Amino acid sequence: MSFKNILENFSYYRRDAEDGGHHEYDHRFGMTIDLDICTGCNSCSTACYAENNLAVVGKERFEKGQAMHWMRVERYWDNIEGDYAEEGAKFLPMLCQNCGAATCEPVCPVAATYHTPDGLNAQVYNRCIGSRYCSNNCPFRVRYFNFWSYYEDSWPEPLNMQLNPDLSVRDKGVMEKCTFCIQRIRTAKDKAQREERVMADGDVVTACAQACPTGAIVFGDTMDPDSRVSKLWEKHQVHRGPFLQKKDKTNEEIRGYRIFDELNVDPSILYLERVRDTEV
Amino acid sequence: MQVERRTLLRKLVCSLRGRMRMKTVTIKQLLSFSVLAFVVSILPAKSYAELPVPAHITPPVGEHESPIVPQPIEFPHDRHVNDMKINCMYCHTYARRSKVAGIPPTSKCMGCHKVIATDKPRIQQLTEYWEKGESPKWLKVHDVPDYVHFTHEKHIRKFVFDEKFPVEDVQQVCGLCHGEVRGMTVAEKKKPLNMGFCQRCHEANGGPGDCWACHK
Repeated sequence: MSFKNILENFSYYRRDAEDGGHHEYDHRFGMTIDLDICTGCNSCSTACYAENNLAVVGKERFEKGQAMHWMRVERYWDNIEGDYAEEGAKFLPMLCQNCGAATCEPVCPVAATYHTPDGLNAQVYNRCIGSRYCSNNCPFRVRYFNFWSYYEDSWPEPLNMQLNPDLSVRDKGVMEKCTFCIQRIRTAKDKAQREERVMADGDVVTACAQACPTGAIVFGDTMDPDSRVSKLWEKHQVHRGPFLQKKDKTNEEIRGYRIFDELNVDPSILYLERVRDTEV
Repeated sequence: MQVERRTLLRKLVCSLRGRMRMKTVTIKQLLSFSVLAFVVSILPAKSYAELPVPAHITPPVGEHESPIVPQPIEFPHDRHVNDMKINCMYCHTYARRSKVAGIPPTSKCMGCHKVIATDKPRIQQLTEYWEKGESPKWLKVHDVPDYVHFTHEKHIRKFVFDEKFPVEDVQQVCGLCHGEVRGMTVAEKKKPLNMGFCQRCHEANGGPGDCWACHK
């Protein structure tokens, strides 16, 4: 980006965040996670490990907080008395929210993390120098750092044969994160291009959405008004953009919310609140 | 008659080596050999015209020198491409269908070489592999790092099929990244195939500039 370029396109680069900022989006991929259907079975997490070449770090490193689970199922209890109450557990699958106004992007010293035209918050692994600034700036704590060269012991022969060739195996000193299975998006785009059509809803299914036994996770393009995801966003009166949502709070049917919406980071994941039949 | 300087030199050296082993070489012969070798080495390197660049492509710029890879069989590309006029995509048939161009299976070689040139030592070597039911362990020459996503299919579609470029001239397009394969025996890496090489061509020909279009 030269200085001349900035002068010529000044109004374009100064565009409001509500108009998409300076991004020209082809797609804006988003997700909906229905916490009412989620059973906390962890199959999304397992699928993510298999799809994205995630290293299994072992118990000791896990306790140090060096786990590499891009998708983790967080547990919360309504009943706060006692350590593990018998009822009142809530599960919240937490993955990278692929924020539209991501806090991790502007702090990267080498521009290894950036916004793709698909609305994804992508990480270029071979560009990353491992400053870990992005991870410290992420309010969701969903960026994971390779403290070790895990490939040496995480996939002993013949387990290395299960590695996904569409995604590189990250080495020591590199930050990594969920990118909504960008390799599947790429494959679907190539397929659509080959068949000379535009991408339709359901062409891309992320590994977690595919593995979810109850169908709690719905993935799709929020820019496409006919996709399942954008219909859910519309139904629950949540819209894209980094500003606080105005929704009908009296209607109990509307239970959509985005985590840390007040930070104005424009997360791409819509969570649907859990409904309780009884008081815990 | 087409003259390939390197092949001639190799033949000369081989025959000299054979005579020296038989201890029948004389000073006179040695002298005539060196004179012959000198004459051969000043012959023009190739007797065919340079590959033309297709009009719709701004070619990528860059040169690369690398040692010749020791392949299990010294496969003569020049003989197949130049003399026999076989299309690149007859053997590398996956180039137009998938990410990788593909090495042909031994059965494809045997399709012709069951009957053609069966007296040549390289073909006999190939027949040995075929009869044992093994494939020659070809070594990869044009290799990009693991973090690079490259698709032959998309490039062939853009530069050949979308432009209605005649498929029989496809080596002009392949040659932009693979060099003049018709002048080589085993394939050699003649272009750098690094990020600058790709990026300059993408800028000149309107390819994607997004990091994740090529990195993974």
